[in-house]
This record gives sequence, structure tokens and C-alpha cells, in this order.
Amino acid sequence: MRCFWNMTRISELIPVQNSFSHTSTLATMAPQETPFQIAIPAEQIALLRKKLELTVLPDELEDAGREYGASLSDIRRLVTRWKDGYDWRKHEAQLNTELPQFTTDIEIDGFGTLNVHYVHKRSDVVDAIPLLFVHGWPGSFLEVRHILPLLTESSPKHPSFHVVAFSLPGYGFSEAPKKKGFELTQYAELGNKLMTALGYNEYVTQDGCWGHLVSEYYHPNNRCKLRGEHSNAWHTNAPMAPPPHPISRPLLFLNHLIFGYTPKEKAGFERSLWFRNKGNGYYHEQSTQPQTLGYGLTDSPVGLLAWIYEKLVNWTDDYPWDDDEVLTWISIYWFSRAGPAASVRIYFEVNKAYPNLLEGATSKTTIPMGYSYFPKEIVKLPKRWLRAPNLVFESDHTSGGHFAAHEKPKELVDDLRKMFGKGGPAFGVVHGRSGYDPQSRL
Amino acid sequence: MVSTENPFKINVPDEKLELLKKKLELTTFSDELEGAGREYGVPLTDIRRLTARWRDGYEWRKHEALLNAELPQFTRDIEVDGFGTLNVHYVHKKSEVVDAIPLLFVHGWPGSFIEVRRILPLLTEASSDYPSFHVVALGLPGFGFSEAPTKKGFEIRQFSELGNKLMLSLGYNEYVTQGGDWGYAITKFMAANYGQKHSKAWHTNFPLGGAPTLKDRPLAYLINLVSKLTPEEKAGLERTAWFFGLGHGYSAEQSTQPQTLGYALTDSPVGLLAWIYEKLVNWTDNYSWDDDEVLTWISIYWFSRAGPAASLRIYFEANKANPNLFRLSLPSKIPAGHSYFPKELIKLPKRWLNTPNLVFESDHDSGGHFAAHEKPGELVGDLRKMFGKGGPAFGVVSGKTGYT
Repeated sequence: MRCFWNMTRISELIPVQNSFSHTSTLATMAPQETPFQIAIPAEQIALLRKKLELTVLPDELEDAGREYGASLSDIRRLVTRWKDGYDWRKHEAQLNTELPQFTTDIEIDGFGTLNVHYVHKRSDVVDAIPLLFVHGWPGSFLEVRHILPLLTESSPKHPSFHVVAFSLPGYGFSEAPKKKGFELTQYAELGNKLMTALGYNEYVTQDGCWGHLVSEYYHPNNRCKLRGEHSNAWHTNAPMAPPPHPISRPLLFLNHLIFGYTPKEKAGFERSLWFRNKGNGYYHEQSTQPQTLGYGLTDSPVGLLAWIYEKLVNWTDDYPWDDDEVLTWISIYWFSRAGPAASVRIYFEVNKAYPNLLEGATSKTTIPMGYSYFPKEIVKLPKRWLRAPNLVFESDHTSGGHFAAHEKPKELVDDLRKMFGKGGPAFGVVHGRSGYDPQSRL
Repeated sequence: MVSTENPFKINVPDEKLELLKKKLELTTFSDELEGAGREYGVPLTDIRRLTARWRDGYEWRKHEALLNAELPQFTRDIEVDGFGTLNVHYVHKKSEVVDAIPLLFVHGWPGSFIEVRRILPLLTEASSDYPSFHVVALGLPGFGFSEAPTKKGFEIRQFSELGNKLMLSLGYNEYVTQGGDWGYAITKFMAANYGQKHSKAWHTNFPLGGAPTLKDRPLAYLINLVSKLTPEEKAGLERTAWFFGLGHGYSAEQSTQPQTLGYALTDSPVGLLAWIYEKLVNWTDNYSWDDDEVLTWISIYWFSRAGPAASLRIYFEANKANPNLFRLSLPSKIPAGHSYFPKELIKLPKRWLNTPNLVFESDHDSGGHFAAHEKPGELVGDLRKMFGKGGPAFGVVSGKTGYT
């Protein structure tokens, strides 16, 4: 049975640091960047309006609540707002103000050139740590919004980061691939090439959606021949691992038999089971018939709204979504360069490329790894299932869900600061870029 | 005395036709990967062509009139325990043969009452060579022109109760059933709950079961261990694996978040078209669908009384009430019959099937899931053999042999 566990982390595929030592603090010249401002054509806004005006809503069973899916009263309210009141131009302008955006052409082996949209903000701290932020579905570059000012903030008390948040191909304002087979290897290649193109030969990554565990068995190091392309450490808020198994994870299996689970761990299981039994219908459809689904998501604003909004509610920890906040999130999908149908293909491609991914595969990354645990993440496994020799940082939280960067920006950034800051387990992992001004190192 | 029937004619209001047209004119199409074929879902060329036809050229009124001419339709209020009264739409055609066998035909998803269209004239035909039937094709609540339940929990038990009550209200105290897809589950339940008293025999083209286990069927288990799979059985299991592996996403979503999905299907004609058309292609055996045929099928969903979202809820309710319903064998004392079509979605070795009192089986070398639509002659042929003179279920309904 396919499930969320079969997805893999893009950042884990990014080529890992080799023993080449890199001494200079290079005042790296950022290459020429092509600035980008979101400017949705008026006709698209007009078409959205026309469609919203023709919206036909279904009925709903009495007292359905959220048990059958996104609730009618929420959807009705959101559609009404989207049609009259929600001001896309205002939010578009805010995004353009807050998020310095660019586009660049990246060549991907076998897929030609893709024009990639990304956010790039440098800290004032010259030696800030380059960090690549990778969103997932149904997220977008928007997810970097709350953490961006915190990450780039300079202070002697905590490290600072140069942040790159790219729109995955097929999302936001990035071009989508035209050929079949664009899967994790390609996404990783793209992320790596983007960082390199920006002069970040070494960097760290943070992601929160795309699942765990691709073993380097699938992506041998010889793919990553180009010198100077390094991911030095990675952090995630959605860790996963295969379960205890008598053959593939025998010690863990014994542990599982002998010791029980704590109430917190049991709650985590319930959450995971809820996801598996009630919450992954979207996953099955997207990984098997994405094109079929795509027609409705492309043609119907309310259809797209409901499909995504259900996740925004179910996957967060009682996050008090503001209607305009929801509508901006979803408008990015509606107005996306490639259209919403392109965004669901990643499920198909990954599922096809790695159908048996999690059964038996254990993490073979060697770079330092950090996990932040939020209670309402959709897959919550006991920590001892997740431990690995290179897991150098862990942090627990008492609230927060799947969209950690959006829901809990401060907590997430604090974790990154602890992991990468002075005295932290991944301090100095990027040569010459400690995250601090030289004076503050003394 | 049978209470009088309320005739019904499909008559979709003009405003609905106009709204459909407006929406079709505003259709936004997605792109498609190069060389995608059908691997990712319904091909864009098919959807573009069908949408263009639906928008300009397809005449709903013409097809509406044909349906009204071919299918004598009625509505009736049926009370279902705990759910109040539901106004049920159904097709009812009596044979000239007075003692024809009353037969209840139960469709599934994404089907409708339209699936009785081709078998109806054959079933009701009078002949000395084969039995004749009085046919009732129930429109499931939430489908076609039947009212949908408004409360939670309307599951297979309720559908069965409704089917039984409909037959009784039409004066058919004893009857036989034919069903596939949800119709299989519903008529299986009817066989268990109303068997012998009312349901006298049941026939399905969607027989199910599971690999025998040592505990529940030790002999079958042992036989299974030593038997090799025939090429046909292998093909059947591959088809089954395809269905559960690549063809089951719709079911996963409909069983867990039907409301979420329902918004797109209600608001977007092309969204609904694609969602259903994919099944019409993948679930049939190279059936050559005519575009207008497809559009009529889907228009019934688009113009349905309760809207398309209501039709999905059976998945949620049935799965919640009993996730094992399809696989489960329910105790039943009445004779049962199977028709096997090679492109049915779940094709298990016959020794794995678990229908009690199986008295009739029939193999076919072509045909898929929508047997009544794809292979009406063959399906009716099977029913005639099963219920006709010399057949294993001849005379199950007292005094109604199907012959003059």
C-alpha cells in the first residue's frame, strides 16, 4: 500500500561534501541575477473572477463537520471573499516587497533548460551560512516568508544565513518540466546547481515536506562529480524512517517488542495512523492519476481551494488561518506559471521511480543532520526509529504541525540557530561561513 | 394492491443547460507531459475533444428525449429507517409475459440507471425459448434523479433496505437481483438480509472473495497451495494488481474525503468529465465509446438531482461501516450466479471466490466492468440460462417462471 513513507527528501540527494578542503572565506561575488516581480496579468484576474461568479457549490450532510472533507461553510465563506473583498494586487505587492525574487535558467540533464523562480536574500553578515530552503506540496516559496527576516538577521548572539528559497519546477513561478521522469534526482540537481550558480559552493538545506530516506544506493556519489558542489548539512521538520523490522532493523525490532511506547509516542502513532487511514487519499490519486485530477484543479477555483485548504487545516496545529492568508496561498497555485496540474506530478514521478523506497532502506547520508519535532506533523514516529549516527541535533516542540516554517517560524529558526550556531553541533560546517561577523568570533 | 406509480420524465431546466454552457466556454485546460499517453490519467486530446463537443454540438435535449422514450421512469417515496423518506427515481418496465420474473437491477459508481438501457428490451422480451423479466432499475439515492440522504451513515444496509422496499411497494414480494460494482455489495446484503423471504436469487458480474486462509477455508487453502495459476488467472491477478496499485486513487479519496473532492466535481464540468471518463476507458474492454454516449453518461451526473458530490459518499459510508464489506462473504441461502468478464477490475481465481450457493457460472472472452452496457446480449444470455427452463434457478420466484 502506497503511503507517505514512500516519498523522499530532495535535500538528501544533494551531493554531499567530500574531503576537499575549502579554506578561503571568499567574498564571493554573487553572479548576475535577474530580478523578478510577480505581476499577474489583468486578464487572469478577470477570468478568476468570472469563474468564481459561476461557482456551483455542493450540499453537505447534516453535522458533517470536517469528517467528510473541507467544510461547506468554510469553503463558501472563502469563495465569497475570494470573489469580493480579497485584493490580489495588494498581496502581490506585499510579496514583492518582502521577498526579493529572481529567475534563472538552470540546465537539467535530460530535461533541457528550466527557468527557475526563487527568493534570495543575503544577510548583512558577509560570512552568513548559505541555506537552501525547499518547500513541498501544497506549499510554495511563500513558506519562507516568516522565517526569512529571522534567518537573515544579524546578531552576535546567533548565526545568520543567506537564504535561497526556490520554487520547485511546476510550482509558483518556476517553469515546469515538459518530459516524463522529472523526479527527486532532478529536483536535487536543480537545487544544487542553483546554489552553485549563486556562488554558494557549500551550503546547508532545510526542508519540511518531501519525505525521507533515499539511500545513496539509489544515487551513488558518482552522480555528483562536479567539484565544489556540496551540501554540508541538512535539517528537516518532517523526519521519517522505516519501522522496526526483524531483518532490516533488528535491534529496533527487539526494542519495539520489549519496551512500550510513551503516551506522546502513542499520540504520534495515532496521528500517523489517521494520516494513513484518512488523510492520504490525495496521495494515492496524485501518485497514480495526476492528469485526471489536474483537470478539475485547473478549471475550478473552488475545486483547487478545497483540495489545498483541507491540508492547510488538517496538517496544522490549530493554526488560526486568516482568510486572506489562505487565499494568497492558494492564489499562488491558481496563478502559477505552469498551472496547478503540474504541481501534483511530483507524486507520480517519485512513486514510479521509487516504488519500494521505504521498505528496508535506511538512511545512508553521512552529513550532519538535524530534526525538529512538531506534534502535529502528519507522520510522527518514535525518536528511536529516527536516530542515526549523523543525527547531531534534535529539538522538541509542544505545538506546531506540518508547515513549521509558516506556523512556527521563530521556533524553527531558533532550532537552526542552535544547530548551526557557536557551540552547536553543526557550527562551522560550511567552510569560512560561520554565520557571524569576524569581530564577533573573538 | 400496488399503489399507483408516479411517472417521471427527465426535464433538466433551461437555466442548468445555460450555466453548463457558460462554464464550458470558460474552461481552462491544463498542459500535459510529452508522450504521456494514458499513463498519468486521461489524455488531454480526449478531454479537449469531449469538452468542445459538450460545448458545441452535443444536444442534451435530444438525448434526454431518447432516454425518456426508451426508459419508463417513475419516482416513489420510500421510508428508510433513521433517514426519513427519500424520493427514489427508478426505471420500471413490465414484460408482456404476466408471469415474468421480477428483477431488480442495481448500478454502482460511476454508473447510473442508464446502465439498464441496453439490457432492458432483451430482459423484457417475450419468447418461448427463454424467460422474461419485469425489470426495476433503482436509481441509488444520491445518483441520477433520486434524492440523496441528508444524514450521515447511509450505507449498504440502507441501500439494501431501500431496494427491498421498492420492490415490495411495486407488488413484487419475491424477486431476483442483478448487480455489479456497488450493486454487488447491495444485492449481496439483500441476499443475506431478505433472502428466501423476498430476494430469491442473485446474480453478479463483480464476484469477489480473497485468497483462502487455512483458518476459514482449509480445503480451499490446501487446494490453492498446490494449484498452479493458469495464464488466465495470472492475467486476472495482474489486472487486479493494476487496479489496486494504479487505479485505486479515486477510491482512496472518495472513501476518506468525499466532500473535498466534491467541490471540483460540482463546479467544473471538465473536472467531472475527466474524473469519470478515465473509468469509462480504463474499466472497459476496449469498448468504443461514442463521444455523445460519454457525454450523456456524464451529463446525468452533472444534471443529477443531488449533484455529483453526493454520489461519492457511498464510498465513505460503506467503508466506515465495514471496511471489509467487499471481501466478506455474507451467509445466504439463496442461489447465486456469476458472470465472468476478462476486463473486470478484480479478477480472482474462481476457487478464491466466496459466494455461498453458487449455482451458475458463465465465462466470457471479452467485456469489462460495465457488463450491462458493454455486453448486454451476453449478460442477458446468462440470466436467461440461469433462470430459464432447465436452469439452476428456474422457478425460484413462486408462480413466476418467466414464461407464458
